[in-house]
Amino acid sequence: MGNMLEVRNLEVSFPDETDRIEAEPVNRAVKGISFSMKRGEILAVIGESGSGKSMTALSIAGLLPETAASSGQIVFDGCDLMALTKKERKAIQGKEISMIFQEPMTSLNPVMKVGKQVEEVLRLHTKLDKTERKKLVLKALEDAGLDQPEKLYHSYPHQLSGGMRQRAMIAMAMILQPQLMIADEPTTALDKRIQDQILALLKEINAKKQMGILFISHNLEVVKDFCDRILVMYEGKVVEEGTPEEIFYHPREDYTKRLLASIPEGKRTIGTAHTNRKKVLSVEHLNVYYPEKGGKLKQVIYDANFAIYEREIVGLVGDSGGGKSSLSKAILGLNIHTDGVIQHNTEHPQMVFQDPYGSLNPVRSIGWILEEPLRIQRKLTKKERREQVQEMLERVGLDKSYLTRRPGELSGGQRQRVGIALALILKSRFIIADEPVSALDVTIQAQILSLLKELGKEYGLSYLFISHDMAVINEMCDRILRLEDGRIYEEK
Amino acid sequence: MKQIGKKTITLIITLLLISLAAFLAFQVIPGDPSLSVLGMDATEQQIAAYQKQMGLDRPLPVRYVSWVLDFVRGDLGESYHYGTPVSGLLGDKLPVTLALTVVSFLFILGLSIPFGILMARFADTRFGRLMNVINQTLMSVPSFFLGVLLILLFGLMLKWFTPGEYISYTESMTGFLLYLIAPAAAIAIPKTAMVIKFLRSSVLEQKKKDYVRTAYSKGNTDNRVLFIHVLKNSCIPVITILGMIIADTMAGSIVVEQVFNLPGVGRLLVSSIGYRDYPVVQAIIVYIASAVVIVNFIVDMLYRLADPRIREE
Amino acid sequence: MKYFRKHSKKKNTAMAAGILISAALFVVMMIGIFYTPYESSKMNGAEKFMAPCIRHLMGTDNFGRDIFSRVLEGLGTTFFVAVSVTLFGSLFGVLLGAVTGYFGGIIDEILMRINDALVAFPSILLALVFISIFGNKVYQIILALGIIFIPSFARIVRGEFIRQKELDYVKSARLMGAGHVRIMFLHILPNTLPALLSAITVGFNNAVLAEAGMSYLGIGVQPPDASLGRMLAEAQGYLFSAPWYALCPGVVIILLILGFSLINEGLGA
Repeated sequence: MGNMLEVRNLEVSFPDETDRIEAEPVNRAVKGISFSMKRGEILAVIGESGSGKSMTALSIAGLLPETAASSGQIVFDGCDLMALTKKERKAIQGKEISMIFQEPMTSLNPVMKVGKQVEEVLRLHTKLDKTERKKLVLKALEDAGLDQPEKLYHSYPHQLSGGMRQRAMIAMAMILQPQLMIADEPTTALDKRIQDQILALLKEINAKKQMGILFISHNLEVVKDFCDRILVMYEGKVVEEGTPEEIFYHPREDYTKRLLASIPEGKRTIGTAHTNRKKVLSVEHLNVYYPEKGGKLKQVIYDANFAIYEREIVGLVGDSGGGKSSLSKAILGLNIHTDGVIQHNTEHPQMVFQDPYGSLNPVRSIGWILEEPLRIQRKLTKKERREQVQEMLERVGLDKSYLTRRPGELSGGQRQRVGIALALILKSRFIIADEPVSALDVTIQAQILSLLKELGKEYGLSYLFISHDMAVINEMCDRILRLEDGRIYEEK
Repeated sequence: MKQIGKKTITLIITLLLISLAAFLAFQVIPGDPSLSVLGMDATEQQIAAYQKQMGLDRPLPVRYVSWVLDFVRGDLGESYHYGTPVSGLLGDKLPVTLALTVVSFLFILGLSIPFGILMARFADTRFGRLMNVINQTLMSVPSFFLGVLLILLFGLMLKWFTPGEYISYTESMTGFLLYLIAPAAAIAIPKTAMVIKFLRSSVLEQKKKDYVRTAYSKGNTDNRVLFIHVLKNSCIPVITILGMIIADTMAGSIVVEQVFNLPGVGRLLVSSIGYRDYPVVQAIIVYIASAVVIVNFIVDMLYRLADPRIREE
Repeated sequence: MKYFRKHSKKKNTAMAAGILISAALFVVMMIGIFYTPYESSKMNGAEKFMAPCIRHLMGTDNFGRDIFSRVLEGLGTTFFVAVSVTLFGSLFGVLLGAVTGYFGGIIDEILMRINDALVAFPSILLALVFISIFGNKVYQIILALGIIFIPSFARIVRGEFIRQKELDYVKSARLMGAGHVRIMFLHILPNTLPALLSAITVGFNNAVLAEAGMSYLGIGVQPPDASLGRMLAEAQGYLFSAPWYALCPGVVIILLILGFSLINEGLGA
C-alpha cells in the first residue's frame, strides 16, 4: 500500500509576529520538514513547546492561523492539499481528515447541544435526512464509549466531564470514518486514568476502522506503547524518526537522548517514615471543608492524620478535584474552614505553586517580590535585604540582572526558580510543592526537580510534594500519601 | 427555578430601596414644603392645618409606608404647582416618553446587530478600520448636540420636518411617530455605536476560541462559522449591557425631549425641578428607576435563557 | 509606563490620537484660564452674529460676545467639574470596591444591593434630583455627580479584587505574612490599574456628558460661570441664522469626549 500522507519540505513562518516580548522562545515556525504516513498507521510527533509540532498538525488539517505563511507540499491521497482551493479543501476537512484537540473543555461550542455538534459533520458532508443523521450520531457516540447516547445528544458541553467531552470530540472526528485523524495532545488536559481510557479508545478505533492517527504530544512516555512510529521534532525540524523500539532503546541524536533522560526513572528507595527524626508537621483529626456556591460547606477531607519529619520528601497523590489543594491550603492556614490539629515546627511554612504565571505578582519586579517577605519581617536593613535577595536568586540559578525584570519577561522555568527562591527566603524548613513542574516542558521539569532535590539536601528541607504524575512522585519522594474519597492513606 | 425566585426577591428589595431613597431624599430638603404651597406669609395655624391635612405630622416610618401603599394604588399625591393629582399629570406624558424610548431602543437593536457583524467581518480591512473610526466618533456625540445637528440638517436645511411642531398621538398616530424619528435617532445613534463596538469586539473575541477551530476542522465555511457558531456566543455578553443601554436611553430622553420640544416625562421633570414641585419629581424618579430595574430583571432572565451554562445553575 | 510595555511595540494609533486630542484641548484650556481674546461676557451691540473670521475665530453670539472666549471659559468649567467628579468618584469607589471585593461577606452584600439600586437611576436623573435638593453651585454639582459616580468605580474595582484575590500571588503574599491592608493596596491594587484607568476614562466622559447635559437643561452651572451646554441651549434659537454658535461648543464637547474614548480604546488594545 502506498503512502496516505506525504509531507514534503513543509515550512511555516509567522512574518508579522516579530514583536513578541515574552522571553519564552515562542518560535512556532516549521523549518522544512518531510515525512510520510501509511494508511492506518499511528504516527506520533513528539516535541516540546515551540518545536513546531502543532503547526505541522494544523498545516495538514488546513487550520493554520491567518498570520501564518506556509510553503511545501502536503500530498494526501494523491493530491497536494496546499494547491487546492479553499472550497476543495473544505470538502476534505472533517470528511477525510478530522482533528481533535488538547482542551476538551473549550473545544466544543458551549451554546450548542452535543448531538447537534456531532451531527454538523454529517450535515456538511452528506445528504442524509434527519432521522438517518440522528441514528448515525447516536451510534458514533456509543462507539466512542459514551453511555446513554440519547441523553447526551440533548446535553450541552458543560454538563459533561472532560473525558466525556473528549469522547464526544472523537465521535465527531470518526463519524465519517476519515482516513486520517489528527490528535493534538488529546490526553494532556485529562487525568491519568481517563488518559489511558482515551488512548485505548483511539487504538481500538484505529484497529477497527483502519483510520490513520497523527498523534501530537510533548510526552514520550504516553506514546510508547501506542504508536507504530515516532517522529521527534526540535526547533522546527525533524531530528529523529523511528519505531518506539528504536527511539527508546537506540536513540541516535543528542536531543532524543536528553528527552529520554528527562523522563523520571521512577525508582523507589525508602518506604517508611524517619520516626527517629524531629517532626516538622503533624496533622491530627483534620477535617477540611470547602465553601460551595451559596455558602454551603462541603467536607473534602475526613479525619486526616499524618506527620512529616525532618529532611524527608512526602508525596501526595490523588485524583484532581479530590481535595489535594484544599488540604495543602489548610496546612498552610489559608483555609479557615477546618477543624482538628495542625502543628508546625517551622515558622513560615511556604509553598511552591503549580502555575508559575499566577504565583508571582505580575506588576512587580522580581527584586521587589523577593524582598517583600523580608520587608514584612522588619528585621533587616535595606542593604542586608538586598544582599539576601541577590544571594538567594543566585542560589536558584538566576543572575542579578533578573532583579529588575517582571515575571512576564521570564520563561516558565525561570519563574518557577523565582517561586522556589521566594519559598526559601524566609528560611522555612517545610515547603509544600503543589504540582511544581506540571506546567513546564519536560526538559525544564527535570531541571526544576533536581534543583528542588539539591536545595532540599543543602538546607535540610522537608517537602510535601503534590503531583498527579506517578513517575515524578516515585522519583522525588521518600514515601507517599494517597488521598482517596477525602481520606488519607499511607502507601506502603 | 431557584435562581429566578432569588432574583425576584432581589428585584423587590431593590424596588423598595429605590422608593425609600426617593422618599427620604425629599425629607431632607431644606425649607418647609408647606411654605412653598401656602406662600411665605402663611400663619402658624394654616401651616399646622395643612400639615395635618397632608399627614405630615405623623412619624416618618408611618408616612413612608402610607406613601408606598398610596403609590402602589396609583395615588401619587398632588402637584404643588398645578394643584392637580400627579397621576393625571403623568398620564398624558408617559406615553410620549415610552414611545420615544421604545422607538430608540428598536433603532439601536435594528442597526447595531447587522453593523456589528459587518464590522467584525471586515475588521482587518481598510474599510473596517474606517468604519471603526466613524463609529468611535459617533459614540462621542452627546445626544442633545446630535439632536441640534439633526434639527439643523433635516429640519432647517432639508425641511423634512418642522422643528418644534409636535404632533400629539391623539391627533395623528403616524404624524406622532414620524415626529419621533429625529429625537429617537438623536438618542439612539451614540448608543448604537456603543453596542456595535461591543458586539464587534465580542465577535472578534469569540473567533479566537477553540470551538471555532473545531468548527473549521469539520469543514465549515467562514459564513457558517460566523452565523451558526460565533454569533450566538457573541450576543450573550451583549445582552448584559442592554439593561444599561435602556437606562441610558431613558436618561437620554430627558434631555432630548427638551431639544425637540416633546411634551414627555423628561420635560415635566425639568420644569418641576424649576418649580420645586417635589411630589411630581418624586413620582417621576420612582417611575423611571423602577422601569430601569424591571427592564434589567427581564434582561437578566433573557440572559439565563440564552446561555445554557447559566440556565443550569 | 511599565504597564503599557505590552503595547509599546505595536502601533497604538487610537492611544496616540486620543492623547493628542486631549492634550491639545488641555493646553487650549490652560491658556484660556490666563488669556482670552475678549472679555467673555463683554457684549458688543455692533458685532452681533458675526460669522467666524480672523477677529472672532468662532464668530459672535446674539449679544455680540466673542464665542471663542466663551468656549474657552466653558471648556475650563467642564474640565474642572469632570476632573473633580472623576477624582472624587474614583477615590471613594476604589476604597469601597477594594474593601467589599477583598473581604466579601455581609457588608459586601448590603453595599452591592444599594449599588444595584443606585445604578438603576440614570445618572443625569439622580444628578437633577441632587441639584434640586442641594442647589446648583459648582461645588454642589461636583459633590452630587461625584457621589453618583462612586458605585460605577466601586463595582469595577470590586470585580477586579474578587478576581485577583483568588490568584496564587495573593496566597503567596499571605504566606509571607503580609497583612490585609498591605495585600490590598501594595499587592492587589497595582494589578487593578489597567481596569481602573479604563474606568476613569469612561467616568470622565460620563461626567462631561452629565455636566453639559445639565447645563443644557438650564439646571447645571449657573451664570456668570460659562458653560458649553448652556451655550448650546442658547444657540438653538438662532440655529438657522447663526449655526456656528451651536456648532462650536458642540464640536468642542465631541472632541473632549472623543479624546478620552480613544485613550480608553488604546488601553484595551
